[in-house]
Amino acid sequence: MDTMRADYYILQDGILKRKENTVYFENKGERRVLPINKIYSIYAYGKLSFSSGVVSYLSKNGIPIHFFNYYGFYEGSMYPRETLISGDLVIQQAAQYLDDDKRMQLAGKFIEGACGNILKNLKYYSRSREDIQKNIDSYISSIESEILRLPDAHSIAGMMNVEGRIRNIYYSALDEIFPEEYRIVTRTRRPPGNKMNTLISFGNSLMYTTVLSEIYNTQLNPTISYLHEPFERRFSLALDVSEIFKPIIIDRIILKLVNKNMLDDNCFRGEIGDMLLSDKGKKIFLKEYNDKLGTTIKHKGLKRNVSYKRLIRLELYKLSKHVLGDEVYKPLVMWW
Amino acid sequence: MYVIVVYDIGVERLNKVRTFLKQYLNWVQNSVLEGELTKAEYMKVYSYLKQIINEDEDSIFFYRVRDKMYLGFDELGSRPAEIDTII
Repeated sequence: MDTMRADYYILQDGILKRKENTVYFENKGERRVLPINKIYSIYAYGKLSFSSGVVSYLSKNGIPIHFFNYYGFYEGSMYPRETLISGDLVIQQAAQYLDDDKRMQLAGKFIEGACGNILKNLKYYSRSREDIQKNIDSYISSIESEILRLPDAHSIAGMMNVEGRIRNIYYSALDEIFPEEYRIVTRTRRPPGNKMNTLISFGNSLMYTTVLSEIYNTQLNPTISYLHEPFERRFSLALDVSEIFKPIIIDRIILKLVNKNMLDDNCFRGEIGDMLLSDKGKKIFLKEYNDKLGTTIKHKGLKRNVSYKRLIRLELYKLSKHVLGDEVYKPLVMWW
Repeated sequence: MYVIVVYDIGVERLNKVRTFLKQYLNWVQNSVLEGELTKAEYMKVYSYLKQIINEDEDSIFFYRVRDKMYLGFDELGSRPAEIDTII
């Protein structure tokens, strides 16, 4: 199982080389050997140069590299040649998209899953924080009533609207939980306006790339999506699926970082209105992220322990089954 | 499983062993590598090394634990190599 391979996060500037049949990362102060058979994917946050051999060597071994720019935003991926190809699945995936009813059904499932997990997060805080329980409960019930409107939406745009409203309510609810300096107020991107927006943006782009790495390891085509439009120049299926995992993984990490006071002012750079994570902040976030992906929970159906990362893959398998007509897709909602 | 490999190999074969091991494990000290391996990977490493060494002269030890958490570990002095995945 591929969970034995590790994700490497490279924050420093340097050169990636092929040397002695494995991968070396080198710069002035550092020289690391990455065992080629143990790399799952590489997240490049620094300025990375490549020697000619390393790109083909990584591709040959099916290792994608995801690039993020100086600001921590996703730039693109070196996505190796697809080795898991199934024409049948791609055709079925497209057929699901072209049939409006079927597309809406799947799009709805992604929203349903995302909202189910959002509610789980809020319910946890409603139980554990008596001082704000009443407020959170009222947000919970307005999200619940929004979800009921989902079946009435007759277009993808209508569904996106419902989703947008739910997200707004969710962010207001989170603002009750977060201390003052970490309020979201309004969601802003590129550049994120304050600390919380910075954390959300950073986390979401990480989530997107992790899902993309997982899609690479299935036969699904990453460009055919349902909730998001597939004609954007992005692997939009990864956007669809990451909706489900953002509340489970990213939001929980952020809540932990903030509630346990793990971040200080040195973790951010820039000013309010143009706030970014510093290297220190990135490092802390990435460590939590990596630990989270490796955390295991007991899976009810499989009756064994699976990691969060594995859950993403299982979700994609469920999606393939749905597309092929084997089993109706039921989005993952945290049972723990 | 978590594996620590310690070797003592004749100079003629040393490079072959070292470069092969580096594809699977993290180098932590001269002649010491460690890391997580699946059963299949372990078999692969074990049998490949068995082929290329001279069993009369060379020696390789494989220390295995089911999980790294069962491994007692203390450290002294300065580290020659970091093996963190966040670089």
